[in-house]
Amino acid sequence: MTVAELADVWRQESAHVLGALLRRHGDLADCEDAAQEALEAAARQWPQEGRPDSPRGWLVRVASRRLVDQVRADRSRTAREQREAGARPADAWTVPAADTGSGASTDDPLELLLLCCHPALSRTSQVALTLRAVSGLGTAEVARAFLVPEATMAQRLSRARATLRSAGARFGRPGPDELPARVAAVLDVLHVVFTEGSTRSSGAVLVDAALTTEAVRLTRRLRALLPDHDEVAGALALMLITAARHAARADERGDLVPLEEQDRSRWDAALTAEGVQILEQVLPRGHLGRYQLQAAIAAVHAEAASAADTDWRQILLLYAHLEQLAPAPAVTLNRAVAAGMALGPEHGLALLATVADDPALRRHHRFFAVRAHLRERAGDVDGALADYRQAGRLTASLPEQRYLNARAGRLAARRSAPTPR
Amino acid sequence: MKYVIMIHSNPRPWGHPTSDFLPEHQALPAEQRERLNADFEAMLDELSASGELLGGEALADAADARLYRWETGRPVVTDGPYSEAREHLAGFFLVDVASRQRAEELAAVFSGPGETVELRATMHPGADEQ
Repeated sequence: MTVAELADVWRQESAHVLGALLRRHGDLADCEDAAQEALEAAARQWPQEGRPDSPRGWLVRVASRRLVDQVRADRSRTAREQREAGARPADAWTVPAADTGSGASTDDPLELLLLCCHPALSRTSQVALTLRAVSGLGTAEVARAFLVPEATMAQRLSRARATLRSAGARFGRPGPDELPARVAAVLDVLHVVFTEGSTRSSGAVLVDAALTTEAVRLTRRLRALLPDHDEVAGALALMLITAARHAARADERGDLVPLEEQDRSRWDAALTAEGVQILEQVLPRGHLGRYQLQAAIAAVHAEAASAADTDWRQILLLYAHLEQLAPAPAVTLNRAVAAGMALGPEHGLALLATVADDPALRRHHRFFAVRAHLRERAGDVDGALADYRQAGRLTASLPEQRYLNARAGRLAARRSAPTPR
Repeated sequence: MKYVIMIHSNPRPWGHPTSDFLPEHQALPAEQRERLNADFEAMLDELSASGELLGGEALADAADARLYRWETGRPVVTDGPYSEAREHLAGFFLVDVASRQRAEELAAVFSGPGETVELRATMHPGADEQ
């Protein structure tokens, strides 16, 4: 039993162990502590005694013993404190061992996901808590994923647990009227984990594979639990088709390669095929949502043999749908790109003109980057140059800024050089 | 999103918190001064508890700065301060917040009479989501 093997077991089992504990004792912080102690015990004992036949059963047994001890210790301390304040029924604190009882649904991490994505928490807290509690990542790993100091992340996690406690958040499956909104929040959290992994970079690595892999793994599990939820399927398809492009997204310097310049032979055909197949199952059912539409757009790109073969009319149509369903400035910008490609740059520019006064876009670098591309294609070199420069000033992304400044530099050089013809 | 909140100030004598050494701040009615201080302390507590505060430092007297300017192929060292401006960088805070709006709200609470607060986004090494 090596450290790596134990880490694998923990990745597989931590959510189940935590779920089993939470079913008996509702406090997330207590249960996480007990689960952590069981992991430490496993790290000490398994290398010597060998891996138990049922690692999950072992972990649950040890963790629930720790939890009982912990609650008893709290109880005797609280009992001392409460002797003056008045009595409390003696069995009010008793926790049955979590490995007794039916445990029929202990294979189901959905309830833990729902708890971590509780509406009382901010999106950032939901994401952090999900990675800590559901994925079983250490606090240091979660902190690294978000590029903040470990102490800061520990602070955020304990604030999140305290918020759950004071909101009276309960472990369990919400009623059918509440479930769709709660599942939607889980999907958004998993999608954030995925995009964090896709867009964060350090050095030459433009994709944090640990985060994207984890998001895909959890979304797969969610799909297994909710096979009829078409947006879960849509989110999974979107992640798979996007992940298929990851190897082609960075050049050897670690710089971003735009979609149209990517080497499509480096796209992962198996991942694309799986994503497309999922989409083909759910799209005909007609419960369209924004993840299915985004996945469909990604699929159109994936099916084009080269950038020039892209079916931009189809993409334009899908963005129009998406804009109706989930209007957002980023969607409008993408629709303008699609309109520019499908119908000509003047159509994209006309669309942009309708949103140029939007306060969310006036300071947004992508608005200027999209307009710069369209103006360049329309032959408005001065306008394009000004927009590339403005976009470069506004972005906070270093690779994006390098790219925009390079485009501006190329355009400026072309303008000042004598035309060859 | 990470932001740096910079406090440009000129406390006399140089000291921290800068507001204790600024005539404009001292001129406020005691009640208002106490409320500003209390708001500031409460916000710092809140930022630590929420995990939004990543760090920060109070800087020593700008008059004590050493400046290194490149001239004819080598650094020429002089005594500070860096600029002739009335205000100098007196301290900074690094925060990680959910939105620009939140950063702007915080920066407003950091401001006070007699000094200038500057809010700047930091660059990050990742790509932006398309």
